[in-house]
Amino acid sequence: MKIEIDAAACVGAGQCVLTAEDLFDQDDDGIVLLLNAEPDESRYAAARRSAALCPARAITIHE
Amino acid sequence: MTTTPAAAGVCPFTGRSSALPLDGNPHVPTPALAEFRENGPATPIRFADDHEGLLVTQFGMAQAVLEDPRFTQNPRRFLLGPPEGEVHDVDQQAKDALAVADILSLDGDQHRRIRRSVTARFSVKAARGRREAVRGFVTETLDAFLAGPNPGNVTTDLATPISVRSHCLVLGVPDSHVQLFGDTFAKPTTTQRKFDVIRELLELVRLSPGDNVFSDLIASDLTAAEVEGLAWVLSVSGRDSVAYMISMSVLTLLKHPEQWELLKREPELLPGAIEELVRYNTMFLTVFSRTALEDMEIQGVTIPKGQSVTVSPVGANRDPERFDDPSTFDITRDSAGHLGFSHGPHGCVGQQFARVQITEALTQLLTRVPDLTLIDAEFESPYPLASYLPTYEAPPVNVIW
Repeated sequence: MKIEIDAAACVGAGQCVLTAEDLFDQDDDGIVLLLNAEPDESRYAAARRSAALCPARAITIHE
Repeated sequence: MTTTPAAAGVCPFTGRSSALPLDGNPHVPTPALAEFRENGPATPIRFADDHEGLLVTQFGMAQAVLEDPRFTQNPRRFLLGPPEGEVHDVDQQAKDALAVADILSLDGDQHRRIRRSVTARFSVKAARGRREAVRGFVTETLDAFLAGPNPGNVTTDLATPISVRSHCLVLGVPDSHVQLFGDTFAKPTTTQRKFDVIRELLELVRLSPGDNVFSDLIASDLTAAEVEGLAWVLSVSGRDSVAYMISMSVLTLLKHPEQWELLKREPELLPGAIEELVRYNTMFLTVFSRTALEDMEIQGVTIPKGQSVTVSPVGANRDPERFDDPSTFDITRDSAGHLGFSHGPHGCVGQQFARVQITEALTQLLTRVPDLTLIDAEFESPYPLASYLPTYEAPPVNVIW
């Protein structure tokens, strides 16, 4: 799995951080930061959930 | 494949679409929404200005519309008619502020630029950073509530003061002006009066900046009109929704005492419970109407350029295709992804801070007042609307302890 983010599309809602703090953070402006683009298999579900919950569709999962 | 929107909502006698029915409340939404949803993703609906728009009540279509950049927020179109005149009855400076910085009516890059001037203060980290302070507000408000008359009214004497103090904290309203803020924004006043108070508050914050939204706005590269307009929209939005959700959460949990008991035993269920509380008690019958910028097709519905399309979060959050047995309140279900905070670029910017406030209020009620009991609240009648938008208004929630 490879996670891709589109920081330009991010609206700072924070759903990704709430869902998977080990994979995502928000910078000082509240915009998404990717902490781990290639998570362990144990975190695949959390990564998919973060992408699904993003209100701006700023997270893409490549599998 | 192309289908036309279903004909539900069209009066069989006149061939004219119907207006939005308002015979519901958050627990029992108007049955018309379920009828509309069963008949198709989008339903013709008659607006107060007599144009025919589409009302979206299916979850998938609602999500698709809210995230689609081919819609504009303009022109402002109101299902139930525009807000009562007074919005235009303000001085020129306020008109200028409203014109440039009302973030809910902006599109695309202009919207992104304005929104990003405030996202820093609403991140997960920022919201958690205010948790201790909110906890203190809840403690003090609950102390006063429990020292007051028993039975007491959660809506007026607990939820509203917690929301006012928390809102003042994040905006940067000094303690000396919390009462003024509450009197101005949690009670009926004119729009001009609100602007007068905002100018006074911005001036105070300008003299003594801090770790808050107003300070960020002042320090940003936004114009004076944008600062004032954004301060206005952030002062009139969000605070009422948090108060509503705290009241409705108490009402809903006490109406389902087995789930109140479950939360007492297993407080780790609270984050999921809050998502379900927001889904089940969705405040927004509709969000602001969108207008198609081009001809398009979404989920088989043909939408011509210029068509108004209005999403109903109440309708979408009760879609059985998305939530099994949607009319059952169940704190153990996975409700994440509901549209209670809307969705897309205009989705609620303060939703993480809202979660913190609701969490702290419920946590202290569960631990400090475990025998809290509902004695009186309206469940059966339609709820009044809080706004022209239209949103539900929380009823008095009377409890004993």
